Order: sequence, then structure tokens, then C-alpha cells
Amino acid sequence: MANLELKNVSKVYGAGVSQLTALNKVNFSAHEGETVLIVGPSGSGKTTFLTIAGGLQTPSTGEVLINGSGYSSTNKNEQSALRLNKIGFVLQAYNLVPFLTVAEQFELVDKVKQNNMSTERFEDVLDTLGIKDLLAKYPKELSGGQRQRVAIARALYADPEYILADEPTAALDTNRSLEVMSLFNQLAHKYQKAVIVVTHDQRLEEKADKVYQIIDGEMSLLKDQTE
Amino acid sequence: MFLAIKEIKHEKLRYALITGMIMLVSYLVFILSGLSSGLQTLNSAAIDTWGANAIVLNKDAQLSLPQSVVNGPDVKRATDAGGAKLVQFGSLVKDTAGHKESVQVVGIDQKEFIYKGLKVENGTTFKADNQVVVSDNLKVDGFKLGDTIKFANTNISAKIVGFTKNANLNIAPVIYTSIANAQKITERPGVVNGVVFKDAKPNVSDLRTSKVYAINDFINALPGNSAQTMTFNFMIGFLLVIILIVITIFLYILTIQKLPNFGVLKAQGVATKYLVKNTLFQSFLIAIIGVGIAVILTTITALVLPAQVPIFISASYVAVTAILIVVMSLLGSLIPIREIVKVDPYTMIGG
Repeated sequence: MANLELKNVSKVYGAGVSQLTALNKVNFSAHEGETVLIVGPSGSGKTTFLTIAGGLQTPSTGEVLINGSGYSSTNKNEQSALRLNKIGFVLQAYNLVPFLTVAEQFELVDKVKQNNMSTERFEDVLDTLGIKDLLAKYPKELSGGQRQRVAIARALYADPEYILADEPTAALDTNRSLEVMSLFNQLAHKYQKAVIVVTHDQRLEEKADKVYQIIDGEMSLLKDQTE
Repeated sequence: MFLAIKEIKHEKLRYALITGMIMLVSYLVFILSGLSSGLQTLNSAAIDTWGANAIVLNKDAQLSLPQSVVNGPDVKRATDAGGAKLVQFGSLVKDTAGHKESVQVVGIDQKEFIYKGLKVENGTTFKADNQVVVSDNLKVDGFKLGDTIKFANTNISAKIVGFTKNANLNIAPVIYTSIANAQKITERPGVVNGVVFKDAKPNVSDLRTSKVYAINDFINALPGNSAQTMTFNFMIGFLLVIILIVITIFLYILTIQKLPNFGVLKAQGVATKYLVKNTLFQSFLIAIIGVGIAVILTTITALVLPAQVPIFISASYVAVTAILIVVMSLLGSLIPIREIVKVDPYTMIGG
């Protein structure tokens, strides 16, 4: 069973009087088929958590494990390859390459990675996300919600085991936000992905299987519907 | 290369502008180098046709053929070693129809290699003192086969019996005549200005007042030749640097605009190498297209320019310059590439 674990992970920035503990002995796990929400106010350490879980930063102490193997101790190239093969990122902005059509965003994934999603599953994803009619459009021709759905589809197309989303609903209204979160939940269950969403928007909690809260770098489990 | 081509297709105007810029500067480089070669040809084409690699001149003549006087014993030693005597001076000629032209008169010996190698395109080679073979450039000025020309400030006339190609010296058409006739015109009987050799290191020793020089040293010392060549080379050098700067600035701005996207792509695991290759390919592509169009324009320009414009487009020179421009363009992409390598995906995710 695929899982992402953080064991006693701490991240400390600076030293002396300017020292800041962004994450403090965080323990976390996410499994395939789960939607995990990480909520917390601005500056609580959510993005630090996401970047460490996604291998973009190394923790000061502790360990990140992907399917039981250490991740944070590998070199940059190995981390990059691991991100390409196992992790899909969905971010607030700049998700899509502006000079590629929606169809070409997927073609780019094919150029850099083998063994992407099968055509049938991909068609299914396009249907589920409602973006089948947008394939010939450029990102600037899409609404914020459409762009975010395309970004989710692109992350899924690479067939990763984990999807890490950073404030994916920040630019969306309430209905669209709930819709996107429902989609994450639906996709996690349907395609057996572990979806980890970092947000300050507590309205999304009802759509998640697990909810963690981070305040001042301390993480605690608020809700677990998987048990 | 996928990203590079897609971006160029999508951002047509931007890339058309930079390609246009490279095309214009390349065109200017090709035309300038063509003019430089053309002027060089006007300066020394005749020497090239002789196939000479060394020259004996008076030590004190500062490598100037008209100012040089090689004494009799030195001339004998040099000609015994296979050299060909030269008498050279500037003059003005006039035909019976009134056409006038400044020329360089070159006296050569009928038994020596310059005369034997003289390629006459029209007519025959000269066989008597009152006959001359002239540069075909004089045709443009109205001189014809069979015309009688008169040398200024003398009563000496000669008949044009042949035309020869590429006969220019010191940016003037050459008139070949016999040594005796040349000495008669200058009223300096027995004076030989120099002796040239095909051999780069002729077996000539014991020269008294003369010295053997490499032919390139002699060409470089032709009046104005070095200054002219250096001026053109400087201009061409500056233009190559301008290409480097223009492409660097252009690609840098484009890259900076795309850095957030590159950051996200890196976060998604796209290798830096892939992004770098795309940027290099983009640079290569726009340089190739720009240079290619410039080569076509240069060829057309060379064909339509009037014969009076001294332009000589050498295919090998254009090829070398084109490669140099493409290399400059690739160098120009190095600073933007450094930015791509440096961009940390973490900072693109609010870190």
C-alpha cells in the first residue's frame, strides 16, 4: 500500500535570536485513496510542510518516507525523478505553461515521462473534470476554475501516487472551491491516489477524509473518517 | 525541443523580432565582409594571380614596390633563383576616344613566370613593347580591344591586345607591359622595382641592398590596406559582440518572464537538463533562421549591386561567419540558462 510518511520532522530557519521553527516534530501519514486536508492560518508552516513532503526542501531533523523508503536523504536528481514519477503538484498559480494548449500540457508530460495514464483512464479523467471541450484552448482563455481543473488533470495524467496541492482553491469562490475539493476526494477514491491539500480555508474540511491542523509548526489530527 | 518550438509558434511576434534582429546584424556582417574582401581584391588581386609567395625589395623601401629599386647584381641573383622581375608605377592613360583612367602599370619579362601565367580572357598576350594587356575593369570605362592608349606626360603609346581578369593593384586597374616599355615610360632604364618568387623561401643569398619578404607582409604594407582591413574587422567584431548582447538580453528577459513556470515544472520533476536543452535549441533555431535569411539576402544583394561596388562574397567566409554568429547566439543563451539552473522550485511555491 502506497503511503507518504513524515517522522518527527522539524524545520528550523535561521539561527540565534532570528531562529524560527517552522515545523516542530511533525508526524504525518497519507495513504492511497485518501484525501488529507492540512489547515492552518498564514505562517503556520503549511507550505513548509508541503515543500518537505514534496521533496523540495530537506527537513532539519526527522525523515520523509515514501512507501517506506527514505526520501529526504536522496540527492537532487533522485528527488527530481521521484517527484516526476510519484508526486503530482497542484499549485495556486503558474500551474500551466502559458504557451501550451490544454492538450499540449499533457503532451509535455509525455515528453518528460514514460508510462503515463492510459488513454481510457485519461478520457475518464477529462470527463470527470469536465475539461474535454477545453483541449484546444490556451490557459489565458480559461477561467480560474477551469485552469485549476486542467492543472489537476495534468497532475493526475502523470499517474503519480501522491498529489500535493498548495491552496488550490485560493483564487476560487466558495462553490468552485467546494467543487474542486469534491473532485480531489472523488479522484482520490476513484484512482487510488493519496491527495494532500494544504489550505487556510476551513470550509473544505467536510470534503476530506482526514484533517490535520498546523499552528506554529505543531501538527495535530483534527478529524479522521478513514477509521 | 517541444517547448522551444511550441513557444516560438505561440509567441510569433517576439521571436520574429529577435530573428529579424539577428538577420539584420548578420546581413550587415556579410555585406561588410563582402566589401572588405572586395576592397582587398581591388588592392591585391593582381598579386594573387601571379601565385607569388615571396618578393625581393630594397631594404629601405619599407615594403613599397614603387619606392623600391633593386640593384643589378641583386636582380641577377634573384632571377637566377627563379624570380620574376617587376617594374611598377602609377600612371594615367587616355585612349583616342578620350576615356581616361588612373592605372597601375606593371612591367614584366616575357621569359618569366608572371608573363607565362598571364591568363588573357579577350585577345592575346602582348608580344612587343608597344602592346599591353589590361585589366578587364577598363572595359567598364570604355576601353576596347585594339584601342591605342597614351601614357600621361609621355609620348609613349601602346595598343590594347588583350584583357585579363582580376588585375587590380592599389585599387586601380593594372596594365601589363614589357619591362623595357615600363622603363621607357618612367625614363628609368635598367631600374627594377622588385622580384617575386613562387617559392615562399627562395634559394637566394648574398643580396646586398635587398631583402626577401613574405608576400603577405608585402600585401599588408600596401597603402591603406592594413587600416582598411582592420577597420572592417573591427566593425565585424563589434557586430558579433552586438549579436551576443542582443540575444543575451532578449533571451534573459524572456527567461525571467518564464521563471515561475520553470520553477513549477522543476517542482513537478521536469529535469533542469530538459529546460536548458530547450532554451539552447531555441537560441540555435532563431540564429539559424536569422542567419539563413541573411545569407539569401546577401546573395541577392551581391547579384543586384552595380559592378562598380567592390563586393566579393566568399562562400567559405560567409559559412565561417555564419557559424560564428550561431556560436555567439548559443553563448548569448548562457546567462538565461544560468537563471534556469538557479531557479529553486521551492521559492515558486511560496517558500
